[in-house]
Amino acid sequence: MGTMTGNDSALVLDGNAAAGLLQEIFVLEITTAQIQCEACGSTEAVGSLRLHAAPMGAVLRCPHCDASLMTAVRTPHGRWLQITGARCLKF
Amino acid sequence: MILRQLYGACLLGNPEDAGNGASFFVRSATPEESIISMAQTPISRGFRSRRQEQTSKDRLPPGQYVTTDFPVLSAGPTPQTKLEDWSLALQLGGSLLGKWSWAEFEALPQTTIKTDIHCVTKWSKLDTTWQGVTFDDLLTAVGLAEPPEPYVMAHCDGGYTTNVPVEDLVGGKGMVVTRYEGFPIALAHGGPARLFVPHLYFWKSAKWVRRLRFMEEDERGFWESLGYHNYGDPWKEQRYDGD
Amino acid sequence: MIETRAAPVRRLEWQLAEVREIIVETFRVKSLLLHVPGWRGHLPGQHVDIRLTAEDGYQAQRSYSIASPPEDELLALTVEKVDNGEVSPYLVEDLRAGDQFELRGPIGGYFVWTVAMRGPLWLVAGGSGIAPLMAMLRHRCRRKVRTRALLLYSSRSLEDVIYREELDAMARCDPELRVVNTLTRKQPEGWTGRRRRIDKELLAEVCFPPDQNPKIFVCGPTSLVEAVSRLLVELGHDPLTIKTERFGPSGWAP
Repeated sequence: MGTMTGNDSALVLDGNAAAGLLQEIFVLEITTAQIQCEACGSTEAVGSLRLHAAPMGAVLRCPHCDASLMTAVRTPHGRWLQITGARCLKF
Repeated sequence: MILRQLYGACLLGNPEDAGNGASFFVRSATPEESIISMAQTPISRGFRSRRQEQTSKDRLPPGQYVTTDFPVLSAGPTPQTKLEDWSLALQLGGSLLGKWSWAEFEALPQTTIKTDIHCVTKWSKLDTTWQGVTFDDLLTAVGLAEPPEPYVMAHCDGGYTTNVPVEDLVGGKGMVVTRYEGFPIALAHGGPARLFVPHLYFWKSAKWVRRLRFMEEDERGFWESLGYHNYGDPWKEQRYDGD
Repeated sequence: MIETRAAPVRRLEWQLAEVREIIVETFRVKSLLLHVPGWRGHLPGQHVDIRLTAEDGYQAQRSYSIASPPEDELLALTVEKVDNGEVSPYLVEDLRAGDQFELRGPIGGYFVWTVAMRGPLWLVAGGSGIAPLMAMLRHRCRRKVRTRALLLYSSRSLEDVIYREELDAMARCDPELRVVNTLTRKQPEGWTGRRRRIDKELLAEVCFPPDQNPKIFVCGPTSLVEAVSRLLVELGHDPLTIKTERFGPSGWAP
């Protein structure tokens, strides 16, 4: 109780794990979409991004430079999506 | 259709604005599951929250459950800032009101507090002990009797931000903490130093804090720009923007 | 290698799944065989979200990989009980045949393999990470396709190897399928198999070389997944041919 034992590392998952939330927003299959990082220019499938911050939301980061590419949050009042870190998405 | 609009907006927006929340609000077309009445949501026979076993109702804000472990939640990878490279600054406009190295920060008056913390993801941890420097003592250290502006934005390693009114930092309500239960705060939990504002939801107690910037007008931080409540009072259950 | 599916996906709706059968796989792992009315199929590797609601309205949501192939009528979820977990102890200890819970899916087109994608197929699993990979192997088996396939499966002990008999049987009757178990903490007397965590040497011994262009899927705890993918890249495999699925504790997802 007095120490920070247990799971002491933050949860990092693959973008594929955010598919449930993202698929509530996108009409096309999102995990196989190609996303280009604005910061470093590399392109990856959304499913292979690093997923942080579950369960508050999905912060999807570039596996090369850690820049945040896309963030999605589900709230009782609607869903939020931020994709300013992505240069573009190709479906 | 939506994607083209978003894409266009991405091109037009200044990438530097990302921190200030160039987000796009997508209003869902159908009612959220949470407002469907209990009669429609199937109950899972025999399921109950494990956390219910230790409820202390009068100490818990609405919708919260007690946990004995300490879940870690981060919007990004854990920064690995070495103590010799660490500093904390108070900023007003273009200048720094004060800046402390680790040794200097540790030499400031220390305060220990025992209190409860509440995460917006519904877990609460009771009777947690933290040690660090109060916001009041930071102001004193830079020769200020009062905060120069009404709002503060906390800036952290890794880019995380969160906004707090100064009223919620003064009078002992806010601190920058370096120890948990007597031990240095673990990196994954925000070490070496995190902001500590326990009367608000714990996303406001920003991990890896490096700079407190005074603002004349309120600006939304990271989660506040993405659908979470701007203020975050757990006793009023202000989890999301619109609550 | 990256598959682009531009087809629209069906809107995810919560459905009621009914537990038809519960199979004890190991001491802490059970498979739940579910009937989901109107289930329209899935691809091997996909997962579902499940949602449990307590009487006071408290809800918990988690993701679990589908362990059954699309050819099977019932949907199988293989759940490992995590100590102090909130959901997995309920699923593993309290759930009975006839119980129902909410489920939606299938989700995730990225971590998927079908026989149409060909091989060689190289699967690396740690613990309960075997679940989505088992869907792939079962699919391969149902379709009677002899794509060259290799499963490297890391478990703590022989008792912890999930689907052990089924994997042995699959490998026995299919010369194109190799199953390699490594037991990291405890080995039975007379064990001649591997007995260490997956390292570079083990991967180099038990592998398809890069020039054969294997489709690689790695699934399990984050630490294993990260170590293995890093080592595979060091061994010369193109990162684009490696797909990973990190399992958090007890199926956490946003």
